[in-house]
Formats: sequence, structure tokens, C-alpha cells
Amino acid sequence: MTFSGRFVLFAALGVVPIVVFGPNALAATGVLLIWLVFVLVLGGLDLALAASPRAVTVERMLPARVRLGESITSELYLTNTGRRRLVGVVRDAWQPSAGAGRNRSRVAIPPGERRLVSLTLTPFRRGERRVEQVTVRTRGPLGLWNRQATLNAPGRIRVLPPFHARRHLPSRIARLKELDGRTSVMVRGPGTEFDSLREYVRGDDVRSIDWRATARRNDVMVRTWRPERDRRVVILLDTGRTSAARVNNEPRLDTAFEAALLLAALTSVAGDRVDFLAFDRRVRGRLQGASGAGLLSQMVDSMAMIDPELIEMDWAAVPGQLRSITSQHALVVVLTSIDAAGASTGLLSVLPQLTKRHTVVVASVLDPATVLAAATRGGRDEIYRAAAAERALLDVARVSAAIRQLGADVVTASPAQLPPALADRYIALKAAGRL
Amino acid sequence: MSVTPTTDAAARDSRAGNGAADGTGGTVGTVGTVGTAGSSGGGAPFVTTVATPTLRAFLRRSSFWVIAAGCVMVIAIVTALVSGASNAAGRALAGDNPAPAGSMALVEVLRQQGVTVTLAGSLAEVRSAVGANSTVLLYDENSYLDGDQLAELADLAARTVVVAPDFLALQALAPTVGFGGVSDASSISAGCSLPAADRAEELLPGGDTLSIPLGGDPLVTGCFATSTDTFSLVQVENATTGRLVSLVPDARVFNNENVTGYGNAALTLGLLGDSDSLVWYLPTLADLPRTGPPSLAELTPGWVTPVAVLLLLVAVAAAFWRGRRFGPLVAENLPVTVKASETMEGRARLYARSNARLRALDALRIGAVQRLARAVGVGRLAQLEEVIGSVAQITGSAPNEVRRVLVDAIPHSDAQLMALSDALQALEQATGRAVMAGIVPAAAAAASASREFSPPPAERMDP
Repeated sequence: MTFSGRFVLFAALGVVPIVVFGPNALAATGVLLIWLVFVLVLGGLDLALAASPRAVTVERMLPARVRLGESITSELYLTNTGRRRLVGVVRDAWQPSAGAGRNRSRVAIPPGERRLVSLTLTPFRRGERRVEQVTVRTRGPLGLWNRQATLNAPGRIRVLPPFHARRHLPSRIARLKELDGRTSVMVRGPGTEFDSLREYVRGDDVRSIDWRATARRNDVMVRTWRPERDRRVVILLDTGRTSAARVNNEPRLDTAFEAALLLAALTSVAGDRVDFLAFDRRVRGRLQGASGAGLLSQMVDSMAMIDPELIEMDWAAVPGQLRSITSQHALVVVLTSIDAAGASTGLLSVLPQLTKRHTVVVASVLDPATVLAAATRGGRDEIYRAAAAERALLDVARVSAAIRQLGADVVTASPAQLPPALADRYIALKAAGRL
Repeated sequence: MSVTPTTDAAARDSRAGNGAADGTGGTVGTVGTVGTAGSSGGGAPFVTTVATPTLRAFLRRSSFWVIAAGCVMVIAIVTALVSGASNAAGRALAGDNPAPAGSMALVEVLRQQGVTVTLAGSLAEVRSAVGANSTVLLYDENSYLDGDQLAELADLAARTVVVAPDFLALQALAPTVGFGGVSDASSISAGCSLPAADRAEELLPGGDTLSIPLGGDPLVTGCFATSTDTFSLVQVENATTGRLVSLVPDARVFNNENVTGYGNAALTLGLLGDSDSLVWYLPTLADLPRTGPPSLAELTPGWVTPVAVLLLLVAVAAAFWRGRRFGPLVAENLPVTVKASETMEGRARLYARSNARLRALDALRIGAVQRLARAVGVGRLAQLEEVIGSVAQITGSAPNEVRRVLVDAIPHSDAQLMALSDALQALEQATGRAVMAGIVPAAAAAASASREFSPPPAERMDP
């Protein structure tokens, strides 16, 4: 049961009869009592005449998924199974980050009929957004007292990573296509695959002329090469505590998702196989053997539920995890954060095991705020900030050098630049035939 | 966010309305399956469970607490009543006070004997209650009455008994009588002709006394002498009107605790029970003359208090109106928010707090040397001397000066630190300009060559 503002106003109107009919204290008190009884009786009558909010059945229609930043419409069908006309307000109790706004909808449902309440949701956090209950508040014919009940009507939507980096995809695919048939550069590169023979045209590298075929055909033939295919790419995501830190108001983990998605999209176009593993002390997400159109959607789906865990990454378990995914040579992309040398000991200690077997790329987000701070030298405090920033950059540089020394490759860039930079590195490795 | 309650599905709704007679199951089917409903198709009626408990269920669930609260209230009230009856002293000598200090025993006995006892709280009540042949008992513990009121009182009744008279009362009623102090006699006997005193024979010793001037007034009679001129009962007869004023300085004689001892009962009953009407008068605040301007309560109209009460209730209703939640709160786990630059900021503050100027400057210098080395194209593994030499040659400045900025100078104050930092930046900018202008083609070529081999993106930090 609740009051309405109208009831409060109505009760306050009692001042008029008290002043008019109550010249002395006793009469005024009498008028006050009469007024209070009148108001309460009227409110009770209104309450008794209001439609029961318990007699409402709720059905929900929700899309299963939405990308972060996009809007969807949640549909709520309310059926009035009671005998009175239901007039009131409905609140669909979404979690705040589902972006449902103020979320109060007026409804008027005649008995036995059904009405649609649609609500635009714009979630602003990744993951699963839930709604458990719907609260219905019905008012009586006078609108003084309301009845209120909360109905169970569970629902959920999965908010997927936005994959903003997909705008880089067309240009990278174009560059990947250029690799096809680029004989002049690709000649006898290790790991490249023989594709076909064709006639020599001016401009071809003379070193790619196949003399045996030339002798057979009485025409100068050249070999063409194509980039290797069906290689394995393993994307390893560090979901430990360092992935929770925010760079440009975006957790490192979300940037890593973007980079992983772009890389996976590119890889599937290039014909390689992608495996995905999110790991800290146990496996948070894993995707194996998916390909084609299903790859990205499955990957995004598994990413949606991964949040940074506030525990230290267990690097010692990483080689075992990789072995369980593939026993062959693979390109292992480790998306983690490169900080001070002390914090990177775990990574550095297992890198030799990884590089012995695989080609390893370590990708990390670099904070643009640090780079900016290193160049800002206004006053005393800013100089100390610049020194600390320079120090941080030197630490990153030292760890990067150590990683390179252990035979792995390093990609560091700002959040916006990391996905394309990683994609470029992949294309470069593919062009060099190092997959 | 636009929340749009739509009723546009008119056809659907009207069909739903028509189908209501056959039950709601049919109406569900018209829209289609619903994800969370689980009852696709129009078979069984769809049931939504209600989370809010009904009033009955709520009461049943909370019955223990309701009953517990009720029990606590009952116990509290009973305890208050019981302890209040035994402990409260009440007003001394009040006719309706059964406590030891009260005088209910005396009043009740007088009533049983057929005396009409009227309890009065103000002189006005005394005036209306008193008859021609009445007795008035006055006990003015707090001296509320002034001389005029006392004089008027003495004229009202045939007999007036004044208990523990104060100075004003003596002045007004018996000017010749004075205070006699507390007696130390262990027993006092009547020793006078007053019948009431004579019957009492003995009185509670150790109380206040009054004094009568020796060889004085024949109209003044003293009884229960404690010394030659001090008495525990003095009766004064008015010469003109013949009205009797009895003064009893010891109030204890009248209270419930002591009235049964010695001859107290006989004396008091004798003094008070002479006539068939007694006014038991204990003055209250109502007897004080009112002075000063009228109070606020007298000036405000009568409806002000009821209006204030109503507005208070309205405020409570408004609080309930605004404060009532629209359904339960929704919980959500929030992510941690940690800026990646926290450690950098912390280190900067540590530098600043400890004035680590050289350490801070060295960090800046190492970064600058690495950038300069890249700019002039001497390679990552070049010695510091090579870098200094190349930079000095390209910018055309003295090697010593470059060396001072990059290595030697030690900042002793914040001003020097800032100057050196500025010098470092100036050196980097000068080198950059010189390389760009192509003054040293070899260095430019080397730089461009290195750029071609591994294009470092702007934000890349691999030196």
C-alpha cells in the first residue's frame, strides 16, 4: 500500500474546515478528528476499489544478446486477470547498468485484456544483465491510495563486447589479400607454400623462374607462392588482477578483447585456426575448433561473461594449458600487461618454454597518460610526474627488451592502437612465413 | 531513455479482450511464445508468482514479533503501575494520597464519620465550597498565598486549621504568635482546656513549635507546651468575628504515617471534625496572581494546535508518499575501478615528498638519451659518449654543455631541477629540428633507414 501525492494534498486541505469551523480549540479538535476519519475512510475506500496488482500476469520478450553501446527493446506483456480495470504504474526492475533509465510506465488495462510495455535498454556494462521482478502499483478511482505488489518475472540479456576494432578489419583483409601471389617478396621464404606456375611477365623476380617447367613448356614459367594456410593461432588472455586496471577509462581486459576479436576475425579470413583461452588461475573462457561465421559470435559470447579477477596470474600453468590446446607449432599471442620487471617475473620465467615450441607475441596496452605525463614539464610537481612516467616507460622498455631476448615479440600501443598494431604484427609474421 | 507504454497493438488487445471469457490461456497464445514464460502455446494458463507477501502472510510470518512486542508493552505498563504505586511520594498531606506523606487516612475517616470533605486546589474553589459552619484546613507548603488571600481565607470559615504556618500566615492570622523552633521534649502532653487537645492527651514529639508572648492575649490559647512559651498547637480567636484559627506547626501529625501514633488522631479528628463540612485546601499555582502580558497560547486562536497536528500528520504522510520504494532494490556487482597510472602517480608523489631531484632528473635523462640516440641514429647499444658527441655535432653546441645537461649537472634546488629539465627538452627539440632540416644527411638517412626497417608507431615504447 502506498499514498499518492494527491492524498497528501487532500489531507492538507483539512486546514480549511478546521479554520472555518473551529473558532475555539475544542471545536477545532473535533473538526480535526472528523476530517482525519473522513480522509482515512475515503483512502480506505479508494484502496478497496483499486484493481489488485496480484492479478497481473507478466510475460517477457527479450533479445538474447546486445552489443555494448547498442540499444534493444524489452517487451513486457501485462495481462489483467482481475475483474477491475487496472490503472497504475509499472516498474521493470532491471539492474542499473542495463540502462533502463527511470523506468516508470503508466498502464491502463481493462479486465481480461493485455497491454504491451516496451522499454529501451542501453546497457553500459558488459556481461549478463538481469531482471528478476516487475513491480505494479495500481491506483483507486480517486487516486488517493495505491496498491503495490512485486511480481517475479525473470529475464536476462547478454551484453557482448562492442568490437569497435572491426572498423580496422577491411583494410587488414585487403593487406592480407595482397600477400596472395606476392611472388617478388615471398620467394622461398621459409614456410611459404608453392601455389602454381604461370607465365613470366616483365617485372617478376628472375629468381622465381622455374627452369624445369620452362624447359617443359618452351616458355618462361615462374613459380607463384601463396601465404601458408591452416596454421594455428592461440590467443591467451590474462584475466588476472592487472587486467582490471583502467587505461583511458577502459579496463585492460576490454582492450585485450578488442585486439583478440580483430585478430580472430583476420585469422579466420586468412584460413588459420584460432583457439582462445582466458586464464588467470583457472580457465575463465575457452574456445577451440570454431571457424567461419560462428567463430566470432562464439568468441564474443564467451568473452561477455569474463570479468577481471583480483588474483595473480598463474604463469606456471600456462604451458600446460597450451599443451592441452595444441601440440603443434602455433602462434601464441599473449595479451597481458607489461609493467615493472618485478611484476613480470612470472611471464619472463615461462617464456623460454613457450618460445621453444611456438612463435610468441606478447601484446600489452600502453597508457597514453604516461606518455603524455613524460612530456609535460610545467612546474615542480609535473617534473616529478614526468620523471615517474619516464621511469615507468623505461621499466616497460626493459621488460620488453627482456621478452625479445627470450625470443618473443612485443607489441605495445595505446588502447585504440593495440588491436590494429597486433593485426599488423600478425600480417607481418604471416608474410615472413613465421607462423 | 524513452519509456513507451504502447497500446498500439489494438487488434491483439481487442482479441485478448474478447478471449478473456475463455480464460487467459488463449490470450497468451495470440502473441506467441515468450522467452521466460516457458509456456509457449495456449494450453495451460500462465501464472506469475508474486514476490510481495499478502497482508495475512506477512502477519503470520511476523506474528512472533508482534506478540513479543505486545508482551513487552504489557510488562512495561504493569511494571510502571506497580512501581509507581509503591514509590511515588505524591503531594504531602493531599487528601487523595495514600502514600505515607499523604493524608487520605484522615480524610476517609472523616468521611466515614459523616463529614463532607471537599478537596480544594485554589481559593476560588474554597470560596464556592465553604459554608457558614465549615472548617477549612490550609496547608500552604510552598507559600503560594499572600497576606490578603490569607486574611480572606480566615474570614471565610468559622474554623480554620492552618498546618505548618509560614511567616506570612502568622502575620495575617495571628500577629502575636511567633516561631518557637524545634522542640527537644521527648513527650508533650496537652495541658490546656481545648477539648480536642484534652482528648488527645499526647502528641508526636520533636516537631516545630510556635511561641506565645508570656502573660499575653487571653484570645490566644497554647496547648502541648514544650517549654514555658512554646506550644505545638495554638488557637487564636478573633475578637470581633469569633472565628477560630488553629495553628498546628508540625505537619507530620496529619500524614498517613503518623496519624495513628500518640494522640495525633484524636487531635486532628477533633480539630477537623467539629463541623459537618470540611474544605481540605492545598494551594496550587492557580492561586498566584497573574502578572505580565498574556502568553502566546492565550493570543493564538484555538484552531492553531489542531492545524499544527494536521500538518504534522500530513508531513508524515508526505514522507511515506516519497519514501515508499517502488519495489525492492536491485543489487548489482560493480567492477573495481583502478587507474593504470596509479603507480606512476604514487611514485611521482614519493619523488616530490622526498625531494629526490637527482633521481628524478636521471630518469628524465635516461629517457632523453635513448630518444636522442634514436634521433641521431647511433643505435640502441651506442655508448653515452657517442651519443653526446653526435648530438653536439648535429646541434652545433659544445660537447661539454651537452654533457653537462645530459650527465654532469646535479640539481641542488627545485629551480635548478626545472632549468635542467627545460634544457633537456630544448636539447631534444634542437636535435629533432637539426635532423629534420637535413644538416647531417647521414644521421637523417640512418634515422629514416631504421624507421623503414621497424616502423615504430607513435605510442610504441620499444627503444
